[in-house]
Amino acid sequence: MLARAVTHALVGLDARRVEVEAHVQSGLPSFRIVGLADRACQEARERVRSGIAAAELEFPEGRVTVNLAPAELRKEGSGFDLPIALALLAASRQVPRDRLQGHAAVGELALDGRLRRVGGVLAVAEAARRHGLERILCPRDSAQEATLAGIEPVPVRHLADAVAYLRGEHQPEPVPPPARGETPALADLADVRGQERARRALEIAAAGGHNLLLGGPPGTGKTMLARRLPGILPPLDEEAALEVTRIHSVAGLLPTDQPLLEHPPFRAPHHSASTAAIVGGGPGIRPGEASLAHRGVLLLDELAEFARPSLEALRQPLEDGYVSVARAAGRAVFPARFQLVGTMNLCPCGARGDPLVECTCSAQRLARYRDKLSRALLDRFDLVLAVPRARAEELAAPRAEPSAAVRARVVAARERLRAGAPERVPEADALLSNAVERLPLSGRGRARVARVAGTIAALAAADSVLPEHVAEALAYRAPQELAA
Amino acid sequence: MNELALALYASESGTHLVDAPRGVAWAGHLQRFDERSARARLAEKGFRFLGRSDPGFPPLLGAIHDPPAGLFFRGGAEPELLARPAVAVVGARACSGYGATVARGLGRDLAAAGLVVVSGLARGVDAEAHRGALEAGGITVAVLGCGIDRDYPAAHAELARRIAETGLVVSEYAPGVEPAPWRFPARNRIVAGLAAATIVVEARERSGALITADLALEEGREVFAVPGEITSSLSAGTNALLKLGASPLTAATDVLASFGIEPEPPAPRHELLEHLPATADELTRRTGLPAPEIARTLVDLELAGLVSAADGLYRASP
Repeated sequence: MLARAVTHALVGLDARRVEVEAHVQSGLPSFRIVGLADRACQEARERVRSGIAAAELEFPEGRVTVNLAPAELRKEGSGFDLPIALALLAASRQVPRDRLQGHAAVGELALDGRLRRVGGVLAVAEAARRHGLERILCPRDSAQEATLAGIEPVPVRHLADAVAYLRGEHQPEPVPPPARGETPALADLADVRGQERARRALEIAAAGGHNLLLGGPPGTGKTMLARRLPGILPPLDEEAALEVTRIHSVAGLLPTDQPLLEHPPFRAPHHSASTAAIVGGGPGIRPGEASLAHRGVLLLDELAEFARPSLEALRQPLEDGYVSVARAAGRAVFPARFQLVGTMNLCPCGARGDPLVECTCSAQRLARYRDKLSRALLDRFDLVLAVPRARAEELAAPRAEPSAAVRARVVAARERLRAGAPERVPEADALLSNAVERLPLSGRGRARVARVAGTIAALAAADSVLPEHVAEALAYRAPQELAA
Repeated sequence: MNELALALYASESGTHLVDAPRGVAWAGHLQRFDERSARARLAEKGFRFLGRSDPGFPPLLGAIHDPPAGLFFRGGAEPELLARPAVAVVGARACSGYGATVARGLGRDLAAAGLVVVSGLARGVDAEAHRGALEAGGITVAVLGCGIDRDYPAAHAELARRIAETGLVVSEYAPGVEPAPWRFPARNRIVAGLAAATIVVEARERSGALITADLALEEGREVFAVPGEITSSLSAGTNALLKLGASPLTAATDVLASFGIEPEPPAPRHELLEHLPATADELTRRTGLPAPEIARTLVDLELAGLVSAADGLYRASP
């Protein structure tokens, strides 16, 4: 007796339709899963066997074969447990076959028959909807996530619930739509004392979506400042929120209580992270930190300590806004349009920029340290800022503006920029040309300054870019120590 | 005596020679030496050689006690420009932001006043002095401790090319000679020898720049030292020079005065300059002006050449 269940296998962020065929023949008892299933998927045998027993149903007797079609597609993970179990039960006439065919199914079985959530339910649900299925059987914890795809989820706590539902003996509980509009508690700019210039640069970076590099001795608050950037970014719009949610869902990082990520994500990988961890890939083709930071902020703390290949690999996403990962197992494209924030010391010993300590680095060591960052990468930072050590008087400064006030200005500036970048007046152009002559400023550097000046004008609610905006933008250019 | 033959022989054998040595090696070298083909090889690459006895040879360098047999030249300018009043600016390779600012400002002001700025193309103070002179559109001369066709340090190949456009790159070593540690003190005697005055911007206690200063003193040339913080080991060498009697230098006018050049009357200073050196945030606090306005003003001052920034600290240019 043959039965089919439908599910979807993840390929990067996409899900491809997979038919789970279960065939029960007479013969010596055996249970095989074929169709390029990975290890986690092969282990479904044990979970399905126990799960069916726990649901007080019967594991079919005889020779049992499960085929995951198409056979050439690699199937990974434990989300196949539920469709395999249901196909087996349909093949042994314990659930109606025709009813099962109208549903997609995804979920991992526990040994006691309960369902556990898996990653990528949003992508699977979206694919199911595209293929004309109306309902998806999924773990209770993933049901809200599935509603985002515009498909009706059937929340299932236990395998027995799924069987009862398919037999028409049990109606699924309604799934409330995901709660919206809550801003997560983020670090607030009010905690930063002094650092007026860095605060201003942060505001400009947020308004224009510019990449920002903070250089300075240790302990001057570079990381503290960088961590406050997400708090002044506007919330994501509908489309962006879905994109971000899909990526985080595939990575299995979605919080249960908040299925829709409405706030720009913030990722700060450690500098020992591998290239695959940063741009994505690995044996399972997973999204990397660059993609997890899509539409948000990627903080590379201690930029110069990252392995050079990892940094160079970031050039493609910085340029194109996506990462394409090719592996023997297939090829995947992950969106990765993030705002990059880097922090670094100004020299290997870290004393540069600190009036109290003397730098002991030799000229060669200093040159080598700065050489670690290629010109091409440095060119991607629109704003480069030295954050020198704050003196005691600064730390006694009063609490400053909170993030909410800054965010309001950022949102207003973004609105204006969306309407079109302001034009430069001739005097502003003249100042820019003069600066190119007088300062070490490359052609790319000029373009960067022009972009930043546009953002500053938008923040100032000016109709055009005035010389004063260009002058301020020039203050955040790459310093000669890093540019020459 | 053929000076080109002697210069080539000294370069090949790695010896420090003032006069022709005695011995069969030199005799053999002299016998094989073909001046016309040697000069043709130099001309092919656009290099020139000036012997010590040539009337165009820099007179100040010819007057030191162990002058080189001659100098190899690369660059657009005529070697005669070395007869013009010249100042050497030397100092630490791993200099501080302070040293870099001072060196650049001095290079700019001295070159603008018409003096030739001589230095060693090394990292740090040397390079900043060269850059300052180029910024002012002045003449600067780089003295190498290797062949003039070598780019050493490699990072300064572009700087050397810019220097050679209007000034000169010179060396006593024949083209092709590799840089070696023991050649740098010898190079320093040429730096000091070419200049009527030597300025040490920043130097540690045992520094090549101090060798240059010693050589200058031995030849009776004027030595200036830029005072630094007494707690900074980068200023230990210069402060020690001051203790020994070097003239303290606090502005380019100190040097210009010793050449009899009248300094231009000082322009009215911008009020922000009174607060320097300071970080942008300190200026915000001291003046009460908002950060964007401070940023704008500092850029204007920077473009006017009145202020320079290093590692987040703004300084008034000397």
